[in-house]
Amino acid sequence: MPKKILIIDDDPVIVKYLKAVFSDNGYATCSAGSSMEGLEVVKEEKPDLICLDLQMPGEWGPRFYRRLRKDKELKDTPVIVVSGIDGDHAIKDAVAFVKKPFDSEKLVGIVKNTIG
Amino acid sequence: MDKKLLLVDDEEGIRKVLSISLSDSGYEVFTAENGEQALKIFREHSPPIVLTDIKMPGMDGIELLQKIKAENPDTEVIMITGHGDMDLAIKSLKYRAIDFVSKPINDDVLEIALNRAHEKILMRNKLREYTENLEELVREKSAQLIAMERQVAVGQTVEGLSAAMKNIAGDLEGGLNYFNEMPCFVSIHNRDLKVVAVNQLYRDRLGDKTGDNSWEVYSGENADDALCPSAKTFKTQKGQRTKATVKYANGRQTPVIVHTAPIRNQTGEVELVVEIAADIAEVNRLRTQVRELQDHLSSLGLKIGSISHGIKSLLTGLDGGLYLVDSGFAKQDQARVREGWEAVKITVSRIRKMVQNVLFFAKERELKWERISAVDFAGDVAASLETKINDQDIEFVCNFDPSMGDFEVDAGVMRIALINILENALDACLEDGVKKAHKIIFGAGRDQDRIFFEITDNGIGMDRETRENLFTLFFSSKGNKGTGLGLFITKKIIEQHGGKISVVSRPGVESRFRIVLPNRFPAVM
Repeated sequence: MPKKILIIDDDPVIVKYLKAVFSDNGYATCSAGSSMEGLEVVKEEKPDLICLDLQMPGEWGPRFYRRLRKDKELKDTPVIVVSGIDGDHAIKDAVAFVKKPFDSEKLVGIVKNTIG
Repeated sequence: MDKKLLLVDDEEGIRKVLSISLSDSGYEVFTAENGEQALKIFREHSPPIVLTDIKMPGMDGIELLQKIKAENPDTEVIMITGHGDMDLAIKSLKYRAIDFVSKPINDDVLEIALNRAHEKILMRNKLREYTENLEELVREKSAQLIAMERQVAVGQTVEGLSAAMKNIAGDLEGGLNYFNEMPCFVSIHNRDLKVVAVNQLYRDRLGDKTGDNSWEVYSGENADDALCPSAKTFKTQKGQRTKATVKYANGRQTPVIVHTAPIRNQTGEVELVVEIAADIAEVNRLRTQVRELQDHLSSLGLKIGSISHGIKSLLTGLDGGLYLVDSGFAKQDQARVREGWEAVKITVSRIRKMVQNVLFFAKERELKWERISAVDFAGDVAASLETKINDQDIEFVCNFDPSMGDFEVDAGVMRIALINILENALDACLEDGVKKAHKIIFGAGRDQDRIFFEITDNGIGMDRETRENLFTLFFSSKGNKGTGLGLFITKKIIEQHGGKISVVSRPGVESRFRIVLPNRFPAVM
């Protein structure tokens, strides 16, 4: 069964981009346009990895992350932060920080290393 | 030598005889026949030697002796004693008579006694002189010594100070000239609170106060020998910071902040004080200038962090579009290619808008006024966004009052202002996932001598926080997509035209922007 990646970003273009990149590399994808939506989708879809943007309207990325970590079932889901702003102080145990704009091959490499 | 002599005897015969022989010996003789008279004459003429009989009616010789010694102890008194008056003679010696001669008076004996009296007087005077001289000498020499020590200390201090100043000046270009050009009044004061030296600026503005009292250049409470900055420094032996007012040479007064530095001599005492007074008005002026520059810079300049975030997202979007196109071609997936191309187009147009906003923002240009038809202008603006709005299945309604007439405006920038709002309306509709049908209404009309534009959308609406910060620089509720510039610029443009912009909104329901512009461009800009 292909590994599933949840993409959380409010920019639909970037969501399309990441979906295409990941599915081209054999991953299943799902997405959410805000961290509120993200929390719902995470519970429904139980992804193997989450790609999280930090600056989104409504709830800020790090908040989502904190909520995620509180949930027993979901707290071990690896998270990769993909963002234009420096988030490493806001999210401590992320697997990796990828700055925008990013090299799609590198990103796929990190995902492969994390979930195979 | 004083040759006065007072002869006191109640017997006239003795007085006559003795005074003749004494005068022959060169004395100036005063005679008295009793104690009272003798005292009178004594007080008047102050003879150094008194020759007096002991046994006299009224005041006797011993009483007289006592009185004379009480009044002028340096007077030498020789007693004339009667035959067999040894007790009295000895008593008078006790009362410090210098000698006694007994009657009948032997001239030689008298002479010897007188000589001894003179000698004593002489020696006493000499001793006194020597002593006084010596004391004077010691005083003189001590004073000289102290003065020299002081000078040496000051000399060293000044040397030390000027060496230090030279060192510092050496570090600065222009050497000691710099100190003269420092935008502060520098003066040096000594312990007597006198000005010892001043720098050029001081000389130019306050006058050459060298030699004057330290407090004279101040006015108010600091113009006091205990409260002027130097006085306080000498008293506390520590540097002081004082707010004071100084008097210019031309009478003008100006506030200053005075910093003092104590200069110590070898023994650690404060020998000199350096006062450095900075002209507050000047400092404030510079500070204001700096603040204005900072404000200007931060408003002109772009907060890279904020803007660059938006840019990074746009670039990522572009990457995404390109990836889709490329991979679409590779897989021969037409749908993907089309998707990618759309993404590219959207992103490029966002980039274009951002660049335009940034360019506009970075370069404040003069408004180019022209008089144009308001209807035509509104139609122009609507046309530039019509396709984009319709493409998103949003209804676009234009209500322009055809009788609006003309107005004066910089059409180019006003277009940007209105387009920014229309695009926000578009984004608001796209953000709103709740309503099925979206609509943007663009209205324009005349209200007496004003032209108004209204843009209403039934998109996501704005909460209070958003509404309050709407026009703030770099505020954006659009996450990655917002630059925070659009509405800031819009507001600026409108205000430059002398107009006003206001907004009402209900979250989740709708937003309405209302722009009111004067018909004519404002007389004063």
